[in-house]
Formats: sequence, C-alpha cells, structure tokens
Amino acid sequence: MRRTNRALNRILLAILGIILLGAGAALIAAGTLPGVADTWTTIGSNLTDQVRQLASTAPIPGPARSWWLVAGIGVLLLGAGLSAAWLASQGGGRTPRLAERSEGADGRTVVDVGLISAAVQDALSGNRNVLATSVSAWESRQGTALRLRMEARHGSSPRELADTAEQLVRQIDSWLGHPVPVLVRITSGARTRTSGAQRAR
Amino acid sequence: MTQDRTLRRLVRRETHSSRALPSIIVASILLLVFLWLAAESVLWLLNDRPLLASPAHLRQWLVGLPGSTVPAGLTAAGVGVGILGLLLVSVAVGKGRRARRALASDRIATVVDDNVIAAAVSSTSRLAAGLAPGQVTTTVGGRSVRVQVRPTSGVSLDLASIKTALDGELAAYALDRQVTGKVRVANEGAVGQ
Repeated sequence: MRRTNRALNRILLAILGIILLGAGAALIAAGTLPGVADTWTTIGSNLTDQVRQLASTAPIPGPARSWWLVAGIGVLLLGAGLSAAWLASQGGGRTPRLAERSEGADGRTVVDVGLISAAVQDALSGNRNVLATSVSAWESRQGTALRLRMEARHGSSPRELADTAEQLVRQIDSWLGHPVPVLVRITSGARTRTSGAQRAR
Repeated sequence: MTQDRTLRRLVRRETHSSRALPSIIVASILLLVFLWLAAESVLWLLNDRPLLASPAHLRQWLVGLPGSTVPAGLTAAGVGVGILGLLLVSVAVGKGRRARRALASDRIATVVDDNVIAAAVSSTSRLAAGLAPGQVTTTVGGRSVRVQVRPTSGVSLDLASIKTALDGELAAYALDRQVTGKVRVANEGAVGQ
C-alpha cells in the first residue's frame, strides 16, 4: 500500500550490486593473478597524475586551489543529496481521510478513516473468528484505497473471513455512495497465538 | 475494468516485497560515506586535521593496496565484497515473494497469510478425520499444501475423507496461484488419543 517506488529500489540495488561485484572481481584478480597488481598500481598513479593536471588548469586563489577540487566536493555533496532523496522515497502515502467532496459554496464533506474503523469494529465485535481489526487509508495513483487488516483466530477459514469482509465492504460502499478500492489482509498475529483455537462445531 | 486493475495492483504490491529495508540500509550507508568524503575533502583543502584519514592518504592506500597486503587477504576481501554484491543483485532481480497469497473475490482484493491457510487446512482435515488437536500439521509452500497426519494407534484412518476435505477447502479458497494438496500419513501413531 505504501507509495515506495519499487522499480527505483530494484534498479538502484542492482546497479550498486554490480559495482560491488566488479570491485570484488578486481580485488580477487589483484590477489591471484601476478600481473594485475602492477596494472592496479600503474592505473592508480596515472589517474592521480591526470587529476593533478586537471586541478592545475583552473586555479583559484585561496585555500581551495582549483575549481576542479571544488567541483569534486560538489559531486560528493550531490551524491549525499541523492542518497538522502532515495532514503526519503521509502514508504509514505498514509492518509487520515478516505473520501472528500466539495459542495461548492455549501462547504466540503470529508470522510475520516476513523468512521469506517469504528463501523468495522462494531460490525465484527460479535464475530468470534476475528480477533482484531485495523483500518487505514492510503493514497495511490488510482486514488485513495482502504486497507482492512483482520487477525484471524487459529484455524478459522480464510474463505469465511473474506466473505465477511466482502459483505462489510459492500455496506461501506452503500454508505459512501461510490466504491473505493479495498485491500483485505487476513493475518495471524500476537492475539492469534494467545487466544485458543476454534471449538469444534 | 480500471477497478480490476487497481485491485490486481494492490494484490501484487501486498504479496511482493518492496525492497524497502535493503534500500534503507544501502542508502544510509551511501549517505554516510558521501558526507564523510565531502567533509574530509573540505578539511584537506583547508589544511585542517582529518577526521579519520585525509583524501591524500586514502589515495595512497588505495593505489598501494596490492603491494601492502598479502595476496590471500586481498582475495578474501574480494570474495567478501563479491558476495555482498551478489546479495544485492539477487535481492534486486529476485521475485521477492512474501509468504502470503491472494484469495479470489470480486469486490475486494484479499490477501491471506500462508500460516492462516495452514491453520485452517489443519483444522478442517482434523475435523474430517475425527482426530485430536496436534495430530494434523500443515505446511504451505510455493505451489503445494502438505498435510501431515499422525493417526491414532489402533484406529483406522479415513484417508479419503481427509483428501476430500483438503481438496474442498482449497477449491473454496480459489487461490490465485494453483496449489496441489498432498496428504502424508506418519508411520508412527499417536497413543491414547
């Protein structure tokens, strides 16, 4: 339900993994093949010389010495910024409002998740197979979606629970007047372990 | 139809991992490394004392790495880094399936944990054969539901009724991924049930 950019996560993780694989391969080659260690050192000193040359082409007075060195620090800071952006892109999208409609000059109608939550809890309070429920709303590309989590009693049929949830959602539909995408999660949790199994009927 | 696609997307996102945790770990490490390198570079340019190692030292260490380290250590480090890279690639490319699956329903998207399915199958199989709690255990794998039955010693087991109950239960769930039910009877019986 979260708004995590999954494709981005996969692409970035794959790129970093390939970079690490390359670094590992280079280290193994330097450790096992006799000529590679020398090549490593040569490439290293060549690169150093090139950077020194480059740094001397755009000198600035003061301690920074060269524009290129300043640009290098800028690149490092840019990398830090992009990492922070990647970090910030994880999760998010939860909203307290399920539906909202503006009535023009007459005002606005907002349906809070709390209302649905209370209604669901009330409707399922007599159901012995549902130990706990939680309701939340999430924003997605296709509008706001409702998520209903039901903790099932040990051994209770998921089909029965799904049918109960479907009935409940149809009632919510008739309440709201327009269907909202709903995801129902049937899980086991802490309450499942502590409360006993269903009795034989 | 748009409703259908939305529900499919909801199910897909719920049954597959978002790779948020590895991403958070990797992004945090990257952020720290970038910030540290930037700080070291600034300190180096200002001729100040480095925090851990100045860029000049780092460069020297990196260039001289094959000469200053024993080859076996270099290889071992390479293997370690390579395994880490392989792990990241497999996390990124792999399916990332979670231990839950979708149940068919027309209005809502329903996702059920595998252990809830296992508990329900155990309970119906047990009631169908008239066994005591704990005599039936179920494992839900990728494409199979395996029911293990420990019969009561000296009492004949009604295997057919267990099979019918299992197949009926699985048919009622109408899971999105086809699963086959298998029943295995343990060689040892339970005494005094």
